[in-house]
Amino acid sequence: MAEQSGILREAARRVWKSQRILWWFFFVNLVLASLSTRPLSIRLAQVTDHSLQSQRLVQGFDLGTYSELISNPDVARGSAMSESNSAIFIFLIFALFLTGGILATYLSDFKLATSQFFEACGTFFWRYARLFIFMAIVISPILFVSYELLAWSGRVIFDHGGPEKTGYWMCLATLLLTTFVMMCVRLWFDMAQVRALVEDERVMRHTLARSFRLTSSNFGSLFWLYFRISFLAWLGLLLGMWLWTRISGQRSGLSFSVFEIVLLWWLGTRLWQRASEVVWYQRHVVAAAAAVPVVETAPVPGPPTADSLPTT
Amino acid sequence: MLSWSPVSVVLCLVLSASAQSSIPLRATNSEKPLSERVVAYDIEARVDTQHHTIDGAEILTYRNLTGKPQDTFPFHLYQNAFQPKSTFMTEMRRNRPSFEWKEKYRASSEVKSLEVAGMGDLTSQIRFISPDDGNPDDRTVFEVKLPKAVPPGESVQFKIKFHDQLGQVLARTGYKADFIMGAQWFPKVGVWWQGAWNCHQFHASTEFFADFGTYDVRLTVRKNEVIGASGVEVSTTNNSDGTKTVAFHGEDIHDFAWTIEPQYRVFTETFHGSMGPVTIRLLIQPDHLNQVERHLRIIRQTMDHFDRWYGPYPYKQITVVDPPHYALFAGGMEYPTLITCDTVWWTPKGWHEMEEIAEHEFGHQYWYGMVATNEFEDAWLDEGINSYTEVKILSDIFGADRSGLDLWGITEGDDAQQRNSYRGVADKDPMARFAYQYMDSSSYGGITYGKTATVLLTLEKVVGEDTMRRAIHTYFLRYRFTHPTKEDFLKTVEEVSGQNLRWYFDQAVHGTAVMDYDIARASCERLDWYEKNREKEGQTTYRTMVTVHRKGDFIFPVDVLIKFDDGENVREHWDGRDRWVRYTYEKKAKLVSAEIDPEHMVRLDKDAFNNSYAAQPDSRANRKITRYWTVLVQFLSQLAAWLA
Repeated sequence: MAEQSGILREAARRVWKSQRILWWFFFVNLVLASLSTRPLSIRLAQVTDHSLQSQRLVQGFDLGTYSELISNPDVARGSAMSESNSAIFIFLIFALFLTGGILATYLSDFKLATSQFFEACGTFFWRYARLFIFMAIVISPILFVSYELLAWSGRVIFDHGGPEKTGYWMCLATLLLTTFVMMCVRLWFDMAQVRALVEDERVMRHTLARSFRLTSSNFGSLFWLYFRISFLAWLGLLLGMWLWTRISGQRSGLSFSVFEIVLLWWLGTRLWQRASEVVWYQRHVVAAAAAVPVVETAPVPGPPTADSLPTT
Repeated sequence: MLSWSPVSVVLCLVLSASAQSSIPLRATNSEKPLSERVVAYDIEARVDTQHHTIDGAEILTYRNLTGKPQDTFPFHLYQNAFQPKSTFMTEMRRNRPSFEWKEKYRASSEVKSLEVAGMGDLTSQIRFISPDDGNPDDRTVFEVKLPKAVPPGESVQFKIKFHDQLGQVLARTGYKADFIMGAQWFPKVGVWWQGAWNCHQFHASTEFFADFGTYDVRLTVRKNEVIGASGVEVSTTNNSDGTKTVAFHGEDIHDFAWTIEPQYRVFTETFHGSMGPVTIRLLIQPDHLNQVERHLRIIRQTMDHFDRWYGPYPYKQITVVDPPHYALFAGGMEYPTLITCDTVWWTPKGWHEMEEIAEHEFGHQYWYGMVATNEFEDAWLDEGINSYTEVKILSDIFGADRSGLDLWGITEGDDAQQRNSYRGVADKDPMARFAYQYMDSSSYGGITYGKTATVLLTLEKVVGEDTMRRAIHTYFLRYRFTHPTKEDFLKTVEEVSGQNLRWYFDQAVHGTAVMDYDIARASCERLDWYEKNREKEGQTTYRTMVTVHRKGDFIFPVDVLIKFDDGENVREHWDGRDRWVRYTYEKKAKLVSAEIDPEHMVRLDKDAFNNSYAAQPDSRANRKITRYWTVLVQFLSQLAAWLA
């Protein structure tokens, strides 16, 4: 337990030390989302800015007025959701691209030069893209089974007249189970990303196989590491929601700030998970390998330089 | 041979007296009959919960008050609607192409024998008819021709044996697991109305129409069943075969429904109305025990409002049923003195849907139950007037802006819900249209419920809120226990208000014209706009022009409020007959805002956003919505990035 706490502390220290990563991540997340909602804002302005009716949305939030607004032909001619899809996709690619640099930063434990950072990003982008495809292959059946399980539990309860609460608990159990399995998969693929970087492995299916063995043999400690951070992330979200319900409807700027802090917290906790796995790997795999003199191993990574980072 | 000893005679008298006393004389709080009581149904039925069947023997005594000899009588057999080729199913499929037929939905109602007292067995005379669409596969209406006509003022007695096979609940009636909703389950005679028999087929959008009378129903069910029904319970007899027979008596009602399920929990309360005490009998699901008080409170509050505003509830009981969640299609329905609600166990207090449904269904005791309009032909008279009174009552209970929702700072008024449901289908159908002739189910819902409520709310602008309440009150008192027409309602409103409102009703009730007024243009500029000198506050004269435009075809007089920055407010009144009107002012003050209908009473106006113009733009609403969308996109982006 003490060792676990040590890993968490060390990982938190590294995230804090390299906090510009977090801020950049957050900044890009915010900018992309803001850009994607710009067309909506322009359309809304045409209808609301000179209308006294819009006061009903300022003082609190009148759902009836909002329903009328979004069905207004001037607003409804574009779909806010489809306009946002591109921002979501770009952020996904951005996150995929940055992963190499982020892991290299946490591995090195000192500030990488910008060129080193992006070199790591570029070096590992295609490897991580392949891992992403593998992950999509792995999670697809999980999501399919989860969906079917939800539909089945719904059918069982609805068609055969089971107790109402049983249905909800079954759905909740399915969702929790799915979340658990997804976290396990994420843990495994995070390990693969760390391993690919540390060991400079190029064949991702081999990396996945080795990471699977490593993750499953240390599952308890690794999952506990992840779980605690996830718990804090959700706690932050609930706290943010609780605060939001207590903010006056007129203070949308304050509500927005609260949610931005929550989103920042979520990004931070995700980076904390990544840093934790890097630290864990360093302490358990790299250090153990270095302690066995008869086996020739890869050198313990010191502070990497641009030359020491793997290149494609 | 029996010998009658004095003891046995006394015993017989005592038993007879006790048996008499167990049958209440009345199911209402009235000393005399409240309706004409055209029909008297006496039904004995056995429910087989294993096979979901009902075997019944019905004695219908029909009083011929038509003023003419009658030799042909039509009957409804609603259960036959749940068959794939029926008109009901055809329309349901048309409304919802994704609907798939399943055998478990199949239901039927079969007349085993039909005898008429003094005329013999007429089973062979039964003939299925399809008066609405000629569908030969629809068997929801049959007629029987008697060998001799029933003279005016005379009665005729039908003895009908029937067998129902219930289907899984698809619309209002049927079974699901241990639950059964016994609605539209017995052969029911049509209504002689406006000089003809009125007995429509069962349609996807239509409800019911029947004559007032008395109901004496004895249901035999398994002993463990909890049972709720129209009327009041008279007696329960335990049978030796593990069943029980429960007898009910109903008066001055036009339908009889019942429900059974072993899991129901029963709670009762007494409401003291102006005609006497009323028992509220709540049958609720075990999972919803945390909402017992919510159910009872809203029924109590609704009864209190109806009693004070519109008129008394005369019956001795109202049974409130909370169907199980898996039988939700049986929820949100009204029957005389019995209503079904709908809720889920986690419903938060600020989400008033449960209250909306309970209030609405109770309201139907007035608009349909007592004021028994023809739901096939004038659905707006029951659903629409009921939606209007629902808005008024819920607004009084929860507040106008939060009567639908009041949760986490998000609010919605019931009136806004009604209005929004109408806005999407505003020009599709007139209110005055047969329910089964609407374009589709969304038009039927949006017009009959939403538009009618909005039309009546807007009418308050013309006649005043108090006058509207008096008009509804008068309409209820005048037409309770009868079958009024739309003209009866419209004339009552005109009479009470003392106004000729045809100009409004012709557009709102009979037409499809859409109302939409907008501030087409508003400008304010210096009178000496051609000069280059600077403006001087309080000295420079400005010309303000406000153009009000009638975008829609619906003509309605409106007020326009124009505000200036020196604090002066100018109120204009426009009859709306022309397409536009321009107001011009020359003042030493600038325009602040112009607003059509500043009191927001013209709820029929389809677009409230274009009703006003503020000279100074205010982007706070825009910023607020955009910010929430931004947060949502950020959150979804992070979820996607979790996969990276």
